[in-house]
Amino acid sequence: MNRVSLKIVGASGQGIISIGEILAKAFKRSGYCVFGYREYMSLIKGGHGSYQIDVSDRMVRSSEEKVNILITLNHHGFEENLNDLKDGGIIIHDSPSWDFSPADEKLLKKHNITVLYLPVGEILQKIKAKPILGNVVFSAFAWSACGRDTDLLKKMVGEKFAKKKDLLEQNMQAIDEGGAYRMQHASDFAIDMPHPDDKWSDHLLLTGSHAMGLGIVHAGVRLYAGYPMTPSSPLLSFIAEIQNETGMAIKQAEDEITAAQMMSGANFMGTRAITATSGGGFDLMTETLSLDGIIENPSVFVLAQRPGPATGLPTWTAQGDLLLAAFGGHGEFARCVLSVSDSDDAFHLVNDAFTIAEEYQTPVILLTDKHIAEGIYTQKPYDQKKTAIKRGSLVTNAAELRTLKSTDRFDPDVPDGISKRWLPGSEAATYVAQGDEHSADGSVDESSVNAIAQMRKRMKKMEAMKKALPEPVLYMTGENGNVELSPKNDKLDLLVVGWGSSIGAIQDVLESKALQGKRVGYLHYQYLWPLKTERLQALMDMAKKTIIIEGNAQAQLAMLIRMECGRSIPEQILKFDGRPFFLNELTTTLSSRMK
Amino acid sequence: MGIKLDSSGPSMQDFHCGNKCTWCDGCGDYGIWTAVKRALVESNLHPWQVLLCYDVGCHGNTSDKLLGYRFHGLHGRVIPFAAGAKLANMKVPVLAFGGDGASFSEGIGHLVHGIRSNYPITFVLHNNANYGLTTGQASSLTWQDQKMNSAPNGMPEHTLASMDFIFSLEPTFVARGFSGNIPQMTTILKAAMQHRGFAFVDLLQACPTYNHFATHDYLLERCYEVEGHDTSDFKKARELAVNTHDKIATGILYQNESQPHFYERLVPRQGKATTLVEEVVKQDVSGLMEKLV
Repeated sequence: MNRVSLKIVGASGQGIISIGEILAKAFKRSGYCVFGYREYMSLIKGGHGSYQIDVSDRMVRSSEEKVNILITLNHHGFEENLNDLKDGGIIIHDSPSWDFSPADEKLLKKHNITVLYLPVGEILQKIKAKPILGNVVFSAFAWSACGRDTDLLKKMVGEKFAKKKDLLEQNMQAIDEGGAYRMQHASDFAIDMPHPDDKWSDHLLLTGSHAMGLGIVHAGVRLYAGYPMTPSSPLLSFIAEIQNETGMAIKQAEDEITAAQMMSGANFMGTRAITATSGGGFDLMTETLSLDGIIENPSVFVLAQRPGPATGLPTWTAQGDLLLAAFGGHGEFARCVLSVSDSDDAFHLVNDAFTIAEEYQTPVILLTDKHIAEGIYTQKPYDQKKTAIKRGSLVTNAAELRTLKSTDRFDPDVPDGISKRWLPGSEAATYVAQGDEHSADGSVDESSVNAIAQMRKRMKKMEAMKKALPEPVLYMTGENGNVELSPKNDKLDLLVVGWGSSIGAIQDVLESKALQGKRVGYLHYQYLWPLKTERLQALMDMAKKTIIIEGNAQAQLAMLIRMECGRSIPEQILKFDGRPFFLNELTTTLSSRMK
Repeated sequence: MGIKLDSSGPSMQDFHCGNKCTWCDGCGDYGIWTAVKRALVESNLHPWQVLLCYDVGCHGNTSDKLLGYRFHGLHGRVIPFAAGAKLANMKVPVLAFGGDGASFSEGIGHLVHGIRSNYPITFVLHNNANYGLTTGQASSLTWQDQKMNSAPNGMPEHTLASMDFIFSLEPTFVARGFSGNIPQMTTILKAAMQHRGFAFVDLLQACPTYNHFATHDYLLERCYEVEGHDTSDFKKARELAVNTHDKIATGILYQNESQPHFYERLVPRQGKATTLVEEVVKQDVSGLMEKLV
């Protein structure tokens, strides 16, 4: 597969994102699949951040470690990023005088790297434009260096500034100048791009947060309560941004406890409500999680992971909160933990989370992470036909409501522990959603008999849920979607097990040449707790070797697997430095483990 | 006043629940419990038409001593739960109940933001100036230097000036009642439920077991019903509320109906006749997707 990557580096606030977004969109619209990845520090101005886009005519879901083009908006790129370039790569910069050290000169020569100076300041002066337009000059230069026609860039920027005549003209000039400079001074240096494929041009270009936001709206969620915390904040921002179109009620709460309580109260009343936070905020929500467990309240918590403990690495990624999601909160109660993997299931799993929450009347934790929340994906427009809004055993029919007794609400003798649920304001017998241990109508009952009956009722739901949840999905090289293998006839050289955002890099490795000739399966978990292990165990028995890949230090999924079925997965590839798995890195590691 | 005899309307009996009361003899909760039921009946509400949300404490044990859709949650957190519920269905009257420990220590932030947000709910403070259910520890409204459980030398902290604090938050409804005066509490609660935004109702109550300073007799002697007071006069209302040394003014002290409540201020909800509960259907996101191509 032919893939090309560009990385824009500089200080926060210099316009890294702006260039990244212009180029990503331009590539996507010209028929390329784009995957974008941002790195930055927890500050508003300064620091050293990056925006990388990987581009191909075929599906890309991860970032390469080394790029073809490095655009550096200040001299820090020379100090920090020279090793990030592939052989034959290009550096585009606007630092008028920079002397490379002899060691760096040697490095550049060894890897045949070209350094191209783009006098952005002079160009802006010539067209009398503000410094902010330097981003457009850079973009046009890089676009041209990839052999692309500037017309598309002009059309795209034109759409953005259609109503601002002055800005529009200056933007057009900036594009012309950036393109012209490249033709005059660097026409020899062009990046060899694959042929575009038109199928990508109608795809969406969006972040995982956009995807989840669309999923939230689509699932009929009508209230969002949240408190800002990276990497959940982009979701809050997006949901807030589109509120006048969606008609949703949005509350930026005074803290995460409030957000969780408002979400729970709104779900209790009978709408669909959601909250999102990261690890520290989730800690504050766990008392509410426990409450939703005992009052059997459908509730959905999005937990967007970043590395902890405490504030940890605020703007980086992790898969370190799986055990927190599975076990956070005091007492024992039924719950479900799901994890999204990319922009596709970030959309679809929202409705799944609510279906489970309403069917089993439990809290559901929907995991995501910084890599997904801020990753930029090329996504096929979502198929909205297959979505069904299912509300479990909710009673709304007037005639049936009249037949209900208060004791139907928490009746411990119902099959699977799933009792009838009806909403405040319904003309029916009333009950109390009781945080104390309670009998069938919610009255406090501390007797031994009742405590056992109600605990069993609630935990039975967990068993029923476990039976009903889908098994993990098996991906095989060269085959689409979920693959079925026969334990009798099939053998695997390698079984890879994983969950969450690492799927992107893993699938890209499977599709690369690195593992050609080997029969490799990737078993991917979206439904993590309660945990199904039958399929996993069958596949482990068919595989010469099993390796688990996780973005945490303890192999938390492997811990849950061992706990559930006693099977150990001692071969582990773990990463806990805040960075996602990169394509080349994972290819090398997996290849070496295969030997 | 008086209970409607019309058989089609709700009655006190409709709210009756078989569970026995477990409060101490002489507890103020009996009076408040009765006044709440009466206010609901006189507001012509059936049990299925209301949501009553209880915090944790002795008052929270009311949750299974009357009927109605009820919720009994976490300590200090009743206001945000009640607010979330109310926003979801504006057609259902929502009352939230909390003690002075829940409202002025554990969950004081929620009280601040509840008033600031002006959620359209009624909040009833069961104010017995101590933690009764956990056997008589001091709350931030216990008088300073009182010897309490876990504070044998008296609390070192000074008492929080609760009413001054409430008025500093620019509330839109403040009332005070006394658990010994059921008719007045009924009147106050009915008015609070009619209020446009967040109604703060401070009900002073006896705790015969642990509060030996502001006793039933003490409150009976000092509480008086305000007459001829202009409830739109913020300054006068604040003075009446704060000055409790000799006499304690009770009744509706302040009301401002000109402030829109939280839901009214939500631009996306303008002109919407349906509730959030009624809107749970699959939503088409094609328009939103188009903007992301």
